[in-house]
Amino acid sequence: MMQRIDLAPLLRETVATPYSDMVTRSTGAALRDRIEQTISGASHRTTQLDFTAVGLLDFSCADEVVAKLLLRVAGEEEHYVLLSGITDRHLDAIDHVLERHGLSVAALAEGDGAPRVLGVTTPDVDAAFEIVQRLGAGDASRLADALSWTIERAADALQSLALRRLIQAAGGTYRPLPLPT
Amino acid sequence: MRVVPVPASLDDRTLDTLAGSLGDWPPSEGLLLDARATNWASPYGLTALLTLGQAITEVKLPPARLAVPDNDEVKSYWARCGFFHAAAECFELVGRVAKKPSDAPSDVLLPVTPVRAAEDVHHVVGRIQERAQRILAAELNLEPKATMGFAMALSEACQNIVEHAGTGGWVAVQTYNWRKRLGRKVVVIAVSDAGIGFRRSLEPTEAKKVGDRWGDGAALELAILHNVSRFRDPGRGQGLAGIRRYLGRWQGKLSVRSGTARLGVVPAWDDDVPLAEHLPYFPGSQVQITIPAQEADAR
Repeated sequence: MMQRIDLAPLLRETVATPYSDMVTRSTGAALRDRIEQTISGASHRTTQLDFTAVGLLDFSCADEVVAKLLLRVAGEEEHYVLLSGITDRHLDAIDHVLERHGLSVAALAEGDGAPRVLGVTTPDVDAAFEIVQRLGAGDASRLADALSWTIERAADALQSLALRRLIQAAGGTYRPLPLPT
Repeated sequence: MRVVPVPASLDDRTLDTLAGSLGDWPPSEGLLLDARATNWASPYGLTALLTLGQAITEVKLPPARLAVPDNDEVKSYWARCGFFHAAAECFELVGRVAKKPSDAPSDVLLPVTPVRAAEDVHHVVGRIQERAQRILAAELNLEPKATMGFAMALSEACQNIVEHAGTGGWVAVQTYNWRKRLGRKVVVIAVSDAGIGFRRSLEPTEAKKVGDRWGDGAALELAILHNVSRFRDPGRGQGLAGIRRYLGRWQGKLSVRSGTARLGVVPAWDDDVPLAEHLPYFPGSQVQITIPAQEADAR
């Protein structure tokens, strides 16, 4: 099960302005507090942060809402974050703050059928992520076959994805994060 | 009362002349700023003038007097930019003006607007998106991605006031045709505050590390070129870094004046110096972001 947090209404509840833009650090910090409260009150392993209907996202707000939230859940065992409803109005700021902190996140852009990796990534990580999304659960040998890689290379890429909480790992198998239905 | 002439043309270049005429800071006597012969002012000039008025009241001196321009067209333009409405808060105006704002001229994307709290930044960003996107796309050839980045840069520049200045400030946004200087249209964001400035903001954590070279120039270099913030939080300092990243992509210019120094992140089309030090003191901080119209092959 995945917990969905719809950011646009949460923004309206948090700041008393008629605008739908996620701007300013104080707004981001207030939003993150609300998000953390919501997460801690539930038992889901995956949280979907939905940016649908959010206008502009600036760097300071992205730092608070996305980067700091990822840093916080990194301290929790097996908690995953998926961004959804991402548009060009959000991409730049999210990418920038994640790169600055050395973080990555799985993100589903508006209109896309499959998520992509935002923030710090490598060609191997991107390729492995895409294959895991496409093929579903599997192990290193399945990925190695699909990409014509050595098992070691595939295992390294999968481990990197798992450490960054971009896929879920269980024993020697890996599976993509659940997607919204 | 000392009379301080306002330059005939007041912008980022001539502000140093005005600063030089102020003498010691804080002033030992009341000031009369004489703008009667002023026939043009950029958003940078107008917001800096308001900062001067605000700074004088904040050092507990009587409000400065401001003799308004003689020229009716100039007066009318300044009124429509929202300048006199704002100036009534921090100056004793000398001369007849319309203080009530009317419709802003079409080249004014955001009239002079106060920034004191995070809510003001929301208001500024919301307003600029409503008004600016069509103009930026049609007149400056900026693609949608660039207009979004523009609003982000505006947001971050305004937030510097809320986060660091310790007092309020002003923002204004305008387009120009820079026929002589660049041969293209530009859009300019001007943000000015009467706050503590970059040097005092960073002094407690950075002055000792820098040593003898510590001053306004070194503080600007740390904040703008190295993303150093007074906060220990590693996520801080991203606002100016984000602005630089955006300007790098669209050949924009960033110029920041604080105290006695001015630092520029200067694109190829401009001949400004990267760092000017030992300038005459001017209170607070002044930021100018300039984005030129994009040429078809530049994208």
